[in-house]
Amino acid sequence: MLQLNWFRTYGATYLDALGWTAVTALAASAGALVWGCALFLLRLTGGRWGARGVDAYVQAFRNTPVLLPIYLIYFGFPLIGLPWPAVVCGGLALVLQNGAYISEILRGSYQAIDRVQFDAAKSIGLGPWHTFRKITLPQVLVYSIPSLGNQVVLLLKDTSLLSAISVTELTMQAKLLTEQTGAAYEAFIVVAALYLVLVSGTEVFFRVAHRTVRWR
Amino acid sequence: MRSRHPGYVLAVLSILTVLVVVAEAGAADEKSRLDVVLERGKLIVVTMSTVPPFAFNDEKNQLVGFDVDLVRLLATALFKDPNKVEFVIVTAEGRWPAIESGRADIGVGGTTVYPDRALRVAFTRPFIDSGISVLVSKKSGIKSMQDLNQDRFTIANLNNPQMADRAKRFFPKTKVLTFDTPSAQFLAVRSGRANALQIDTPSADYFAAQSKDEFDVLPGLLGASQNNAIYFKPGDFKWWLWLDTAVAELRSGSWYPQYTEIYQKWFGKNPPPQKFYLQQ
Repeated sequence: MLQLNWFRTYGATYLDALGWTAVTALAASAGALVWGCALFLLRLTGGRWGARGVDAYVQAFRNTPVLLPIYLIYFGFPLIGLPWPAVVCGGLALVLQNGAYISEILRGSYQAIDRVQFDAAKSIGLGPWHTFRKITLPQVLVYSIPSLGNQVVLLLKDTSLLSAISVTELTMQAKLLTEQTGAAYEAFIVVAALYLVLVSGTEVFFRVAHRTVRWR
Repeated sequence: MRSRHPGYVLAVLSILTVLVVVAEAGAADEKSRLDVVLERGKLIVVTMSTVPPFAFNDEKNQLVGFDVDLVRLLATALFKDPNKVEFVIVTAEGRWPAIESGRADIGVGGTTVYPDRALRVAFTRPFIDSGISVLVSKKSGIKSMQDLNQDRFTIANLNNPQMADRAKRFFPKTKVLTFDTPSAQFLAVRSGRANALQIDTPSADYFAAQSKDEFDVLPGLLGASQNNAIYFKPGDFKWWLWLDTAVAELRSGSWYPQYTEIYQKWFGKNPPPQKFYLQQ
């Protein structure tokens, strides 16, 4: 049976962990968005070899579980003289993988733009940079918002994997409390509820963002 | 959306009622686990696969170890067949829900008896002495527990509260990292993330013997000698009595020869004498 007073006793111990999960997810999402944009730009402007390089990178990260880069960076970087903290290593792995996904999302949105618009831009005398900034980028971003929202939700849930490299985020906190109190169901129900709150918040944010931007 | 049909609500309510009644009835006359195991014809055992020499995967990826052989002796006693065992592999914190939910009949795997642990699972009498040792990387140059107690050193813990308590007590100045598997603890020391780790003494000896040029075991134990035991769901007298009798017979009674055999196999020496007043 569930012990209701367990929640009263240990509820507050989740606050720090909640903070770690939220901050890691937020920072990694921002990083992944920047890195995804960079990859997308490189694919657009880098010529054939740039596109191939990006393609290889995307394939490599899309086809491996994110736990692998997490382990490789956390346990591998000290060997090459970079003993970065666990949360930085884990965050970097999340940025590298989700950046790959985001660059693909942006590419998909880019391909949805009608080619005629580029001819129209050229005919009114816009150069490549202005075409990109005024015509391409705004549309790509607006088209991408729902998919980006999904990606951020996935990233948020993947932060649970950082529990494997000693980051005391929500999942690790639940593991610690399970070991400490034996109340496995209670510990993980709280975590499930907190993830649900974080994910719902993220979804609402992206829905509002999409609605606000779409009608400009 | 279609309007809700009253029959639908009724159906859900009746299913819920049936579930509650069944659950209550199940709780009321629960059979002893011993009878369940005998009827099923095999023993389901929860264990970790990362605690050599107690329970670990060998080079053929088979689960082996002292605790595994001990469980096979139990299966021999139950079914006259050492192979009538199904192992459920979990991580450290997965042991307790596996027992609580009834997924496994018993658990083994380098599990230490603590009074606070005994509040949530029942233990047999101990089947082997253990203790906690500190394994350090040779590179660190740490030679004693006092050496380790400096803030330039980091120790890798497993995520149980006893590890945290010991770290605070024995080396309060040392930085602490917490992992969810022993393999991550070892990776941490190998990669230089940590300089030392806490682990059961037999495991420490095993790893140090495996890679002599990489690890040292610090002299002394962290605290007292400890007991490892079989754990299971509390409140089942028949099951407890059988398991405890079996362990007692292995350690000091009729099955001492079998116990000696597996002890020799994994530790290369004889177990503690069968009875202190008998000449060995």
